[in-house]
Amino acid sequence: MVGEQGSGEPVQVVFSGSRRELGAILLRGYGLLVPTIGLYRFWLTSWRRRFYWSHTDIGGDRLEYTGNASQLLLGFLMALAVFVPLYGLFFYLSTLSTEAAFVGYGGIGIFIWFLVGYAIYRGRDFRLSRTLWRGIRFDQTGSAWGYAFRRFGWSVLMVFTGGLVYPFMAANLWRYRYRHSWYGDRQFSFAGSWRQLAWPYYTSYVAVLLIGGIGLVAGIGLDVWPGDGAQLNPAGFVPIAISALLCGLVALFYQSREVTRMFSSIELEAARLTVGVSARSLFWIYLLFTLGLTITVCLLLVGGLLVLGAVAGEAFAGGSFDMEAFLGNLRGSFATVAAIIAGYLLILGAFSLNREVFIRLGYWKLVAHGAVISGLDNLGGVQARDEDKALVGEGLADALNVGAY
Amino acid sequence: MGIPGRFHDGLSAAVHLVELDYERRGEEGTLIVRDAGQGSELARWPAAELYAVHAPKDVLRLAANRQPTGARVIVEGHKDIGRIMATLPVLHHKRRQETQRQVRIAVTATVALASVIVAYLFGVPVLAGRIAGLVPAAWEQSLGETVATQMEASLVESGGLPVCDPDPKSLANRALTRFGREALNGSGSPFELDIRVVRSDIPNAFAVPGGRIYFFSALLDRATSPDEFAGVLAHEIGHVVYRHGLEHLISTAGTGALIGFILGDMTGLSVAAGLGATLIDSRFSRVSELEADRYAASVAQRLDFNPAGLADLIGRVGEDDRFARALALFSTHPLTEDRKAALEILAAERPAGLEPPFSSAEWDAIRNMCGDPYLRSREQNK
Repeated sequence: MVGEQGSGEPVQVVFSGSRRELGAILLRGYGLLVPTIGLYRFWLTSWRRRFYWSHTDIGGDRLEYTGNASQLLLGFLMALAVFVPLYGLFFYLSTLSTEAAFVGYGGIGIFIWFLVGYAIYRGRDFRLSRTLWRGIRFDQTGSAWGYAFRRFGWSVLMVFTGGLVYPFMAANLWRYRYRHSWYGDRQFSFAGSWRQLAWPYYTSYVAVLLIGGIGLVAGIGLDVWPGDGAQLNPAGFVPIAISALLCGLVALFYQSREVTRMFSSIELEAARLTVGVSARSLFWIYLLFTLGLTITVCLLLVGGLLVLGAVAGEAFAGGSFDMEAFLGNLRGSFATVAAIIAGYLLILGAFSLNREVFIRLGYWKLVAHGAVISGLDNLGGVQARDEDKALVGEGLADALNVGAY
Repeated sequence: MGIPGRFHDGLSAAVHLVELDYERRGEEGTLIVRDAGQGSELARWPAAELYAVHAPKDVLRLAANRQPTGARVIVEGHKDIGRIMATLPVLHHKRRQETQRQVRIAVTATVALASVIVAYLFGVPVLAGRIAGLVPAAWEQSLGETVATQMEASLVESGGLPVCDPDPKSLANRALTRFGREALNGSGSPFELDIRVVRSDIPNAFAVPGGRIYFFSALLDRATSPDEFAGVLAHEIGHVVYRHGLEHLISTAGTGALIGFILGDMTGLSVAAGLGATLIDSRFSRVSELEADRYAASVAQRLDFNPAGLADLIGRVGEDDRFARALALFSTHPLTEDRKAALEILAAERPAGLEPPFSSAEWDAIRNMCGDPYLRSREQNK
């Protein structure tokens, strides 16, 4: 046995990955998405997860992601089996009378919302069962359909109560997820309850109502929605924008409380997790994201204009932009289409790169650096469980685009 | 002195600090894992069974076949990793093999997807035609009624689509019915035509599934000869005969599914999905326009009108500007001049001595179905 384990001191989680390394993985992946007609996304997901997992160190041992791209690809193909009949149904409904089509679309929308719950749970199952730490695998039991029903029922209640039921929903779903999580032959337990969320949630709720209401009233007072014959006053948007920003800050405050209290309620026998996430650091993540996105998009715009100037120089002759000359330049249809597609893909790539590098990595780092685990040395006796070979890929999670990390 | 490392046996969560040794006996080498403190042997892994799993650059994680799946030997630091890699060239070899395997899977999947796309682009017009052929005519008719109801409902604010001359016994309507019957003759189409000249400011004409054709008064007003009118009408009858409306519905659904597959977003709500679907669907649509043009030309082999007139009329209402030219790939219609050239070739060898589609009295009656255009425009300007 290892000497350093005997101390019984709480252990700090360490994360060693850098933005630069993740950025390089993503850029290479985006480049490969084009020649593979999008199929490389399964490999990109695997590389991204290997990055996150392998740089996360708990008590001297790193996590290992053991999943691979073929499993994800196969899972996606299986999910198609669900979607092809749905597509047929969609098509059939669109040919019926207007009312029937409307009701049908609504029904399918609700069904997809229900499926998202299933997809989230299956995706989590896949990730946990492919996570190795100290040679022992994590796992998740429980029923994905059960989780989907639960989540769906709660979301219906959310609609009917105007969001007031949220703390009960959040605590219930966290509990379901963690009470069905395993490390080897040991089951996690979850001590959190709605009482821990009620105070921050309801104060935030009231604050958002007040701030939003004041902003709206001030905006209307400044004639942002002009009545009969009145002119629209752009100054009216200022209080609305300010109140929207303040509401965003309140939401971040609440999110930091929920993450802190719920993660800190997770136990694995004698080992206890404590996580501290501050609202300020969450705010910092979103600020960096906004800055990063602005800079990238500006660079893309400048680059795009330079390319246009080179390709369609005469349109810019004389210092002004000549639409006729510009369109005349785009004679070849393929050049136009290629330019539209390339521009769209670049903007999309810029957005997802910034989101991954600033928001997702930032959030992972924040939770990892804020996490302390006590009683880790009691886990030495955990035994491996049998292989979970039933899962092939994340299935619906890939088809519905709900996968986090 | 062995190389220091950590060992997980894959059976329990205990961590062992170990020293690694390498033993060579003839061809076969073995990695020996010894407890760093007591020196007792914890595992012997034959070199041939070893492979490296993914880890950051300065970390080496070794696993072995025929061992518990979670069992790992972990070594950190450049110097120690370098020593192991030098001793065990099999690790390089296996890593290369694994990379090649992944590349093979990715290439195979990409080729498969690319061939699905190519098969789709060329096969769907045929396949959609076949599927449309299996759909019972009655079903297509009820579908057409739904489409027509939806369309009229969407035009309610601008006055809907009122039929100009509701009397089926009038000279103009009888002429239209007769033209329709003759144009449909020999096509084997199960549908009965219902040609409606309707009042609208939009210069347009279209066929809904099931045999109903709308001809808008604004387009009729712009027609300068019976050739042009008969040409466009025969073109729309071509859409009915080939069941293009239904085909188009089927191919749109198929395209949506395919694009969703490529983008991994089966809800198909993103901009990319819409753009891709438009590109593919408008290609199918251009194919069906040309097919309907050919049908109009075949009708002109039996009735005396010049089908190229249809390109003139359509060209007149929708001048192809530079913008349309630049975005031709997105357009649902072929460019006017291309169409006209093709139609003129088809119209070159028409037999002589055919009946004209409409007598001059009938053509006058048709032109006046919606009242005198000059009177009407004056009334609207009041």
